[in-house]
Amino acid sequence: MTAREVRRFVDDLLRGRRTKPFHAAEADLAELRTAITLRTARVGGDAPGEEFLSGLHRRLAAELGDPRPTGNVTPATGGTRRRFIQGASVAAAAAAIGAVGEHVLADSPGADTRTDNPQADVTLSPTLGAWRTVAASDDLLDGGVRAFDLGSVTGFVHRGNGRLRAVSGTCTHQGCRLQLDAAARRLDCPCHDTVFALTGELLRHQLPVAPRPLPRLAVREVHGAIQVYAPPAG
Amino acid sequence: MAGSLGRARDGRPAPAKPVCDEDVGPNVVRGLRVVSGEVYDGWEAVYRDNVDRIYRLMFVKVGNRVDAEDLTAEVFLAALGPLRVSASVGEVRAYLLATARTVLAGYWRRTLGCQITTIDDDYPQPAGVEGPVSDAPQRAEAVLAGLPEQYRRILQLRFLDSCSVKQAAAELGVSVANAKVLQYRALRRAARLGEEGSTDDCA
Repeated sequence: MTAREVRRFVDDLLRGRRTKPFHAAEADLAELRTAITLRTARVGGDAPGEEFLSGLHRRLAAELGDPRPTGNVTPATGGTRRRFIQGASVAAAAAAIGAVGEHVLADSPGADTRTDNPQADVTLSPTLGAWRTVAASDDLLDGGVRAFDLGSVTGFVHRGNGRLRAVSGTCTHQGCRLQLDAAARRLDCPCHDTVFALTGELLRHQLPVAPRPLPRLAVREVHGAIQVYAPPAG
Repeated sequence: MAGSLGRARDGRPAPAKPVCDEDVGPNVVRGLRVVSGEVYDGWEAVYRDNVDRIYRLMFVKVGNRVDAEDLTAEVFLAALGPLRVSASVGEVRAYLLATARTVLAGYWRRTLGCQITTIDDDYPQPAGVEGPVSDAPQRAEAVLAGLPEQYRRILQLRFLDSCSVKQAAAELGVSVANAKVLQYRALRRAARLGEEGSTDDCA
């Protein structure tokens, strides 16, 4: 019975409080949506407050490494376009831009891009890791792929040309869980139609900024078991 | 008591003065607009030019100031970092919109397990003009118009005029308990009226 939660949700909406999660039943959705429609129909309620605007500006300035003490939303004066990457984050931003290279904003549907970049070889290296078994050797023949979920990380391990490779199973764009398309031998992101190779390279995306390739995991085969180096499940 | 809904834009009828609403947002002075095809001067220019639009968009989708603020912050925090230096204004706006779409979807999945509102693919991104124009006033008006008088009035008072239950009860001449029941029933009826042909994007 979710009637009470629906009432609470609507009440929060009316009082301007943060809404709280609950598992909405199918029958509640229309009511919730109607509440939102009615609430947003009132005059003038949709403009952002000054306090919020300047607060977020400060957060962004801190986040983006802008060294200037800014409290107000003031026009940038004499700024260069390089101001996107400045202050403490220059190195990180430069690396990120290098990683996306010329594929940035290649947002035409079906843009076919590859990231031939040293960053493709990023390997997941936990501070506290251990070799953890993800499959039996016999279960992963040459050309095979297996998904694994260790709690702390999910991923896919595959054997190709006699070599083992393991990659993270989380999309580097916004963290959606990748799905294995075994027939096509690729990993699909359900969120934005991004496609990665089993080796982690980006094969295709439709995003304005090309996501990074998938981090790899160190992988080994001992005593008939395939193991990856991963953090404990916690 | 006002019968018509408030509408701020388009030269349509001026809104009746809300009975209880003290939370009418401030008029925000918008930053300089940048002509499409140009590039932004830096992240601050991106922020100034887009924050108002993204916030309004989120507000229309979640109906709540604090939630809209949280989501707007999430969009900018996620989007500004990886933005390329020389991306054009149009590209940046499209990227922010794509980010907003994902952020909203994630929010609903976390909150209700189901996306009850979405940002459509064909969402207009007019260059250098007003932010999103919501059709909520028209939809709300259509729904309210189809309700019995008491139902219409309680929803008008509570949702559009931001009256408390107490204030709304006094206005309608009923007890607070009655006003609450009236509101729940009215909302349920309004939902049935307004939801013909709509679908939910549930996993």
